[in-house]
Amino acid sequence: MQGKQPKKLFTRKKVCRFCTDKDLTINYKDAKTLAGFVSERGKIIPRRIIGTCASHQRQLSEAVKRARHIALLPYAGNPQE
Amino acid sequence: MRRYEMISIFRPGLGEDAVSAIVENTRKIIEDAQGTVISVARWGMKKLAYPIKKEKQGLYYFYEYVASPTAVGEIERKFRIDDGVLKYLTVKIADDISAEELEAAISDSEKRNAAFLRDESAEISEAAPRRDTVAHDDEVAEEGTVSE
Repeated sequence: MQGKQPKKLFTRKKVCRFCTDKDLTINYKDAKTLAGFVSERGKIIPRRIIGTCASHQRQLSEAVKRARHIALLPYAGNPQE
Repeated sequence: MRRYEMISIFRPGLGEDAVSAIVENTRKIIEDAQGTVISVARWGMKKLAYPIKKEKQGLYYFYEYVASPTAVGEIERKFRIDDGVLKYLTVKIADDISAEELEAAISDSEKRNAAFLRDESAEISEAAPRRDTVAHDDEVAEEGTVSE
């Protein structure tokens, strides 16, 4: 267990994009917005990196999973070959 | 009567009349159950993010309607039987809907669908440049080092 990294470097003040910008809605049909919250491999990016609040991260996660179901987003993307 | 949104993906090789037959059948099931169809939008042929039943492209249809849960079960049952439907997804939007909201939704739906289709066609021509920054954070963070 390495506790050597100082905690402050991870807990920067980051605001939730959806809380501040009311126009930005989470919609499973909107692959373009959702793609911004998904890594290159297609994985959902953790909340501590992006800075969304908990409830929006849950909505985002559900929307991404729905979009994956209807093939708007991949389950596993290939890295650039 | 609950409000639903549904997306169905058809095989690309399916003929136009087969597709419209299935869509008409869906409409009929909704009408028979005293529901109302708010809108049916054809999103067109799209490249699938992963192959479904060996198909790389699919024909997307988007429906909004108000119906009872049994009607939804019936529609999905028909989709499951049919080979031409690759995937479907039904999402409940509201538990009940008043008459005014319904009329507003029907008149709004044309505007909404037009706007959505316009954004879609613009998006296809663009790339996704943001991915590089995002991926970098993802990779670096996984190793446990400080990312910025």
